[in-house]
Amino acid sequence: MSKSTSKEEFIAHELKSNFGDVISELKVTGPRRVYVTVPPESLRDILLFLKNMFNARHIVTITGIDMMKSFELIYHIAVPGEHIRSILVNVKTHIPRDNPTMPSVVDILPGATLYEREVHDLLGIVFEGHPNLERLILPDDWPEDEFPLRKDWKPKEV
Amino acid sequence: MVSIIGWSRIRSPWILYMGTGHCNACDIEVLAVLAPRFDVERFGILLKGSPRHADVLVVTGAVSRQTAPRLKRIYEQMPNPKFVIAVGTCACSGGVYWGCYNVLGGIDKVIPVDVYIPGCPVRPEAVIQGVAKLLAKLQGGGKK
Amino acid sequence: MMSIYRIPVGPQHPAIKEGFQWNFKLDGEVIVDVTPRLGFVHRGIEKGMELRSWVQGIYLAERICGICNTPHTTCYCLAVEQLYDVEVPKRAQYLRIIINELNRIHSHLLWIGVLGMEIGFMTYFMYVWRDRERVMDIVELITGNRVTMSMNMIGGVVYDITPPMEGIIRRGLDYLEERTKYYKEVLLNEPTIRARTENVGVLSKSDAIDLCAVGPTLRGSDVKSDARFDEPYSSYDEISFNLVTYPYCDVYARALVRADETLESIKIIRECLDKMPSGPIKVRLKRTPPPGEAVARVEAPRGELLHYVKSDGKEKPYRVKMRTPTLANIPATCEMLKGYYIADIPAIIASIDPCYCCTERMLFIDINSGKSWVWTDSELRRYSLKYYRERRK
Repeated sequence: MSKSTSKEEFIAHELKSNFGDVISELKVTGPRRVYVTVPPESLRDILLFLKNMFNARHIVTITGIDMMKSFELIYHIAVPGEHIRSILVNVKTHIPRDNPTMPSVVDILPGATLYEREVHDLLGIVFEGHPNLERLILPDDWPEDEFPLRKDWKPKEV
Repeated sequence: MVSIIGWSRIRSPWILYMGTGHCNACDIEVLAVLAPRFDVERFGILLKGSPRHADVLVVTGAVSRQTAPRLKRIYEQMPNPKFVIAVGTCACSGGVYWGCYNVLGGIDKVIPVDVYIPGCPVRPEAVIQGVAKLLAKLQGGGKK
Repeated sequence: MMSIYRIPVGPQHPAIKEGFQWNFKLDGEVIVDVTPRLGFVHRGIEKGMELRSWVQGIYLAERICGICNTPHTTCYCLAVEQLYDVEVPKRAQYLRIIINELNRIHSHLLWIGVLGMEIGFMTYFMYVWRDRERVMDIVELITGNRVTMSMNMIGGVVYDITPPMEGIIRRGLDYLEERTKYYKEVLLNEPTIRARTENVGVLSKSDAIDLCAVGPTLRGSDVKSDARFDEPYSSYDEISFNLVTYPYCDVYARALVRADETLESIKIIRECLDKMPSGPIKVRLKRTPPPGEAVARVEAPRGELLHYVKSDGKEKPYRVKMRTPTLANIPATCEMLKGYYIADIPAIIASIDPCYCCTERMLFIDINSGKSWVWTDSELRRYSLKYYRERRK
């Protein structure tokens, strides 16, 4: 690594060296921004790698998006750079819409516990291995099979 | 101002405050009304803890699915004569949260309202003026 | 076998009227475990953003939390501006710093007063809130609004600070600095405040990091992290100020962090006024951003805030995700409550400066007797004040 390589580029380089065969997209879009797309079965390995290699222990949140053909999950991980949470490595993955399950990452990053519950509540994605995947923010009497952030969900008259 | 002082000589209204699903801005302005610069306690307006002792229910926030039954229950627990002030645009009409699936609208979807004080957030002066209008209405009879 | 009694109690309180249920497992007076249940003020804002144009979204984002309204609009605008691949003019960046720091001062002073209220010091609350009005006067001078500033626009800001305003702002800052120093002295020296906050609600440094805490909660546990340093947005890297941390890891530390941050914010605003670049305060942008995605982070008074936006080139966003700092602090809060008394709950929960709106209820379950009951926060506060009054006898 030459002196002029930024930390972001170094992270991208290391991700490519270690996971090049499963990464479908990898880009450094600007200062402190790395995006990497991997299949769901590689997600835990990537997070473990970021934690062990770069001491990344902060997950900012998990964004779930209904892309119609699939669900996209983005894990926003803060990796030390100039300061301990400087660089955002946005780890993306896609899961099938008709079988929305994903392994939980709570054992790797305990801070993810409520973010997985939130995505579960609003999009209906099941995080396997989560210690208690209960309702987080929708009301108690909200119907079980209605997920408001799905694109095909429309609000009903109450 | 004179009408408030006159009225409060007869009786101090006891206020019950409730928030129903909102962003906090109106709440802190209602609280500012109690703080030294605006200071409504000098008019004898007191904040009370229980619906059974309150004359006036002051509500901020748009009504959400979860809070609608609670709001109704609180209103029903208040003894007659009772009055309701909707504080802030959300309490008046649902405000900025149009189209948000958990929000029902203004509080008059659930309980009858006597005074509407718009504002996003409401200004403390407007709250005082709203209370004054209510007191004027009380002098004219009020709801049974 | 546990039988549970629910005592329905009404939800009303003038301050900290927040929407949360905490479930406590108790062993006598001591908290053994805590689980949170959110949602009493869930409004459906993220979905609501998809129904609005990009500009209309600013006004909804502003009302996620009325107290933190400015960081929310700043974060949203920063994210959307990344979609346009545009940086707003320097003057607008400095103005954004000023309004965000004014917001921080306003929020921290609000909190310091509320801390006083939580531990029974109504006089302290009244004094602080009287002085807090000075911040609102400054905000009103610049924007015409006391609380919800509505200053940010995609592409810059909508109001400017003129030379006559500057003198008024500086005098206001001098006053606030003097008053804040006094309130900090009270925090440092008043034995009752210290007794209720020192060694209470301890969150170790490693727990704070592992549980992904943010804001003063994190920095009160000696962790050097602040989005204004981690990710210097809007020219914060051109201003010299301190990242405030305290090593005590307790409620007391978090209070001191906020007091010191208020003093830092005053210095930041002065430096921005000194160095204010000239030029326009916004750029005109096309109504619809190009397709793409972007993430922005800002340091709200309560901690790190994130907005993610995704555009498919249409008039309305495809997705807007907003993660508020209070949500991030909840796992840490559950941890910091364990091992403390019921009477400590108001101060501990207040120490994270929770920003979740509506009504608060708490469910208590005694693991020995199986008894359970529900309290509102005002009942808990009364219990807590009584408990400590009696202990002092």
